[in-house]
Amino acid sequence: MITTLKSFQYFHPNTVEEAVQILNKYGDRAKVLAGGTDLIPSMKRQKIAPQYVVYINDISQLKHIDFGAEEGLRIGALVSHHSIASSSIIREKFQLLAKACNKVGTPHVRRMGTIGGNICMAGPSQDTIPALLVLEAQMKVVSLQGERIIPVDEFFTGPFQTAITGEEIVTEIQIPCPPSDSVADYQWVTKRTVVDETLVGVAALLGMDLDRGVCKGARIALGSVGPKPFRAREAEEIIKGEKLESKLIEAVAQAAAEETKPRSRADYRRREVGLLVKSTLEHLWSQLR
Amino acid sequence: MSKEIARFTINGRECELLIEPCTSLLEVLRDHLELTGTKSSCGVGECGSCTVLIDNKPQLSCLTLAITVQGKNIVTIEGLASGNNLHPIQQAFVDCGAVQCGFCTPGMILTAKALLDDNPNPSRDEVKEALSGNLCRCTGYVKIVDAVLAAAQIMKKGGA
Ligand SMILES: Cc1cc2nc3c(=O)[nH]c(=O)nc-3n(C[C@H](O)[C@H](O)[C@H](O)COP(=O)(O)OP(=O)(O)OC[C@H]3O[C@@H](n4cnc5c(N)ncnc54)[C@H](O)[C@@H]3O)c2cc1C
Ligand code: FES
Ligand code: FES
Repeated sequence: MITTLKSFQYFHPNTVEEAVQILNKYGDRAKVLAGGTDLIPSMKRQKIAPQYVVYINDISQLKHIDFGAEEGLRIGALVSHHSIASSSIIREKFQLLAKACNKVGTPHVRRMGTIGGNICMAGPSQDTIPALLVLEAQMKVVSLQGERIIPVDEFFTGPFQTAITGEEIVTEIQIPCPPSDSVADYQWVTKRTVVDETLVGVAALLGMDLDRGVCKGARIALGSVGPKPFRAREAEEIIKGEKLESKLIEAVAQAAAEETKPRSRADYRRREVGLLVKSTLEHLWSQLR
Repeated sequence: MSKEIARFTINGRECELLIEPCTSLLEVLRDHLELTGTKSSCGVGECGSCTVLIDNKPQLSCLTLAITVQGKNIVTIEGLASGNNLHPIQQAFVDCGAVQCGFCTPGMILTAKALLDDNPNPSRDEVKEALSGNLCRCTGYVKIVDAVLAAAQIMKKGGA
């Protein structure tokens, strides 16, 4: 049984400004603590032992869900998976994100864990990332020096690695409105373990040219089959301007499987990518026709 | 490292403790306050046996630093009965045979309490979903779900 944590100095800023001041001082020796559902287990397993822990979960500035037809969706980094999955606007307009958040862990974990923590942990199997990739989200990141915007496909640099420095925090996830006449979904299979970690996750978004009855374009993102979740760009290319007939769907599934680089159980994972891409596209296509 | 003061309400009582910031709420409950009804098992968020209510929501005390619950209202299994009268959910667990070794029971009951406070008339599936983060190695869950549904009926009749 894992029970105790190594000592650290504790800070509990109430504003973003206070938080980044502390991080500016301690940099990589400090760790930000949000819901703690990833960080506390990592500390208990002694994978990391920060000297300073900066608890940000009381920062009320980072708990918003705002939506506007022009600006799209803005989610504060500290919004929990539970709040996202039960938000009516997200369920209506960004259903695959609600579905991905509802896949995470258990009801307790979804209530404690935040979307900011999910992306900053940056594990290859983290469930919100494929959805954020196809929604072409961007992260607002703040440090003492100011703020910058990082597009989701530049945010992840490797397994458990992100483009943010130890002096920065993610404050907001910004998601543009999906293209009109588009549909999207997230599907997965899990390992059969106590935490049902995602073995393969597939998010897809199809844009439709309703007049011509063809697919204008597709975005496909794969999780847990490479060092980080990624867009399967070659598979996406095959779809552009085409009708999604079963032969084409087979070709897309095959292309997606070939773009993967699983570290373990590679044959099984590749086969699952093919099957999941196929079932996701068939499901979406049936909604569009 | 230096200790800090944590203040919160536990089962209706104000409480002030000097603790190291690395202490989990689970350790504070069991080792400092001797409230051993809250069970410690996996320690990493997987089993739900350490569930407590923080501001009426089920949370995992093994993943919660005690220093972060400043000013919050915490309820453990010791806080449910009034005197010698069991809470209706506790009584239903006894009556339905939903307790075997009992290790998962405190977490199950607190999770069920939060569900019924939110949704007094849940379906069987809603009960299963709400309890899906609480593992039981003994019962096979059927009687636990029966007990929560039975408690819902009793509480609706004003038994709480
Ligand atoms: C039993 C169990 C099951 C789980 N199942 C799943 C699952 O199915 N799918 C899944 O994707 N995840 C799962 N997780 C992992 C976890 O719950 C999620 O990744 C969660 O979203 C993490 O958020 P948090 O707020 O708890 O992060 P924390 O643990 O607080 O932080 C995680 C990391 O992100 C950093 N961080 C947090 N917030 C910020 C910020 N705003 N800016 C900069 N850095 C930040 C922290 O420093 C830390 O390195 C599971 C965890 C448990 C315990
Ligand atoms: S002991 Fe906390 S979830 Fe298992
Ligand atoms: S009764 Fe023994 S673990 Fe549930």
